[in-house]
Amino acid sequence: MPKHDTPMLDELEKGPWPSFVSDLKRQAETHDECWDILGQMEMSYRDKITHWKHGGIVGVFGYGGGIVGRYSDMPKEFPGVEHFHTVRVAQPSGMYYSTKNLRDLMDLWGKYGSGMTNFHGSTGDLIFLGCRTEALEPLFWDLTHDLKQDLGGSGSNLRTPSCCLGESRCEWSCYDTQDICYALTMHYQDEVHRPAFPYKFKFKFSGCANDCVAAIARSDFAVIGTWKDDIQMDQAAVKEYMAGNYPSNAGAHADGDWGAFDIQKEVIDLCPTECMWMEGDELKIDNSECTRCMHCINVMPRALRPGKEKGATICIGAKAPILDGAQFATLVIPFAKVSKDNNYENIIDYIELIWDWWMEVGKNRERVGETIQRIGLPTFLSVMEVDPIPQHVREPRSNPYIFWKEEEVPGGWERDVDEFRRKHAA
Amino acid sequence: MAMSLEEVEAAIIAKANKSPKPQLYIKDFYKCDSERKPREIKNIANKLVTKGELMFWSSGSTTMYARPDRIKNEEGDSGVN
Ligand code: HEM
Ligand code: HEM
Ligand code: SF4
Ligand code: SF4
Repeated sequence: MPKHDTPMLDELEKGPWPSFVSDLKRQAETHDECWDILGQMEMSYRDKITHWKHGGIVGVFGYGGGIVGRYSDMPKEFPGVEHFHTVRVAQPSGMYYSTKNLRDLMDLWGKYGSGMTNFHGSTGDLIFLGCRTEALEPLFWDLTHDLKQDLGGSGSNLRTPSCCLGESRCEWSCYDTQDICYALTMHYQDEVHRPAFPYKFKFKFSGCANDCVAAIARSDFAVIGTWKDDIQMDQAAVKEYMAGNYPSNAGAHADGDWGAFDIQKEVIDLCPTECMWMEGDELKIDNSECTRCMHCINVMPRALRPGKEKGATICIGAKAPILDGAQFATLVIPFAKVSKDNNYENIIDYIELIWDWWMEVGKNRERVGETIQRIGLPTFLSVMEVDPIPQHVREPRSNPYIFWKEEEVPGGWERDVDEFRRKHAA
Repeated sequence: MAMSLEEVEAAIIAKANKSPKPQLYIKDFYKCDSERKPREIKNIANKLVTKGELMFWSSGSTTMYARPDRIKNEEGDSGVN
């Protein structure tokens, strides 16, 4: 039986699409608190203001993250959502679940909470929505002991690292995204479970520039697969595409009528660096100008492949709009080897250079991208011990001054005053 | 003279006792011993949480530190995380 009238929410059940309102009503048959979600939401729609409060001290013993406190500010009217905490459960690398694992997770969550979930949050975790304070510890115990799964990060912690499915299914992956994601999650357990910084910090790993985890838009430290040598090319397959014998984009857009495949229009003219052309019936690429954007490879996967000398580009400092406008991560390390042979030590070194600097100079609640913006990329590049390259330059300089460092000036700052006075007596 | 671990812990607790607002950012503790790196101060503050001398207070996106006896309510504020 509905506990509250929800005329506005009921409107959202009328369309042809799936409705979260219908889902909530169905869930309310076994979890009464879901009526109060609906009731409180109807009130928010009417009053045009939220009735959720968030944050505070809730957590589980030994951890300083993974649980986000959430409360109703109308607990008398909606007692079911008086406490409605969010639990972040670390997702498996590449988000591979067995159906048994999913059933076990749902049984656990139905027992201790509302049963409402979010697969997955923008951090990457599987999210349980709606836990009472007193249910947190037992839920955590069963999750870690029976299911052998862990909470993810929240607050000023290192957030749960996430990755694309990489080499497990994708021929374009330039390194083993799942392996490094797991290895760094284990390496940084303390940082994931307890606050470590002035604000949040996220790693994300994509195997190529298609960037299926949107690392460049969502992570402070985006590791994006790339290659150093030439795109591998099969000229015979290029001809098959041109003859219409192979479907472009592996048939992904085949349900629309786009006409015959036109390599000039669909590949060459769309190359962002204009580094492709036809010579007779041969496709040519000036690989020294290619930015490894993946476009041509996506269109003609049987003819073109990433090169053989693989690794990753590291871009730093993406963030959501909360403080200062959204921004993408900035290219910092053009090419790094990503290999389990050295336990990712070179990647770890980069990460720790950033952390030491950001913890020192970053302001409270300032993402590292904002710190870089405030202090300047040239300073950050020297922190990262990389020499500037043209790709680090976004626009011609607008500041005419050059600030030399002491080691860049012959003789440094020290002057022999007596020697100087001999030539400049006054 | 370098400060001993006990002296740094005492300085952190003293700071958390007399701050105007009960919740402090990790950066507020850096000056308790400016010879230590921020990550060392963070480790000391987190250890004080396991000892019950401090507690975490999180907005969802940022985690702060507080003395348990200065926090009256388990809840946070309205707004975003
Ligand atoms: C006006 C209301 C809200 C706003 C503006 C808002 C905004 C946001 C933002 C900006 C984030 C991303 C934080 C990040 O960078 O990771 C976020 C995450 C999240 N919010 Fe909200 N939120 C609102 C209400 C709610 C409510 C009512 C709930 C649950 C009852 C909720 C649950 C969550 C969860 C579970 C996440 C984490 C997802 C993840 O792990 O990425 N939010 N919210
Ligand atoms: C290290 C030495 C010096 C530095 C860094 C310096 C810097 C500057 C700067 C930044 C400006 C403003 C430019 C603008 O935005 O319009 C300026 C203007 C000026 N400087 Fe210097 N200056 C130096 C030495 C001198 C000396 C030795 C003289 C004269 C003997 C001088 C005479 C002037 C004059 C007259 C102007 C005004 C120009 C105008 O009317 O716009 N400066 N200086
Ligand atoms: S990011 Fe690239 S490697 Fe990873 S799944 Fe997507 S296309 Fe494949
Ligand atoms: S990968 Fe991108 S930049 Fe390189 S040749 Fe193909 S379309 Fe051009």
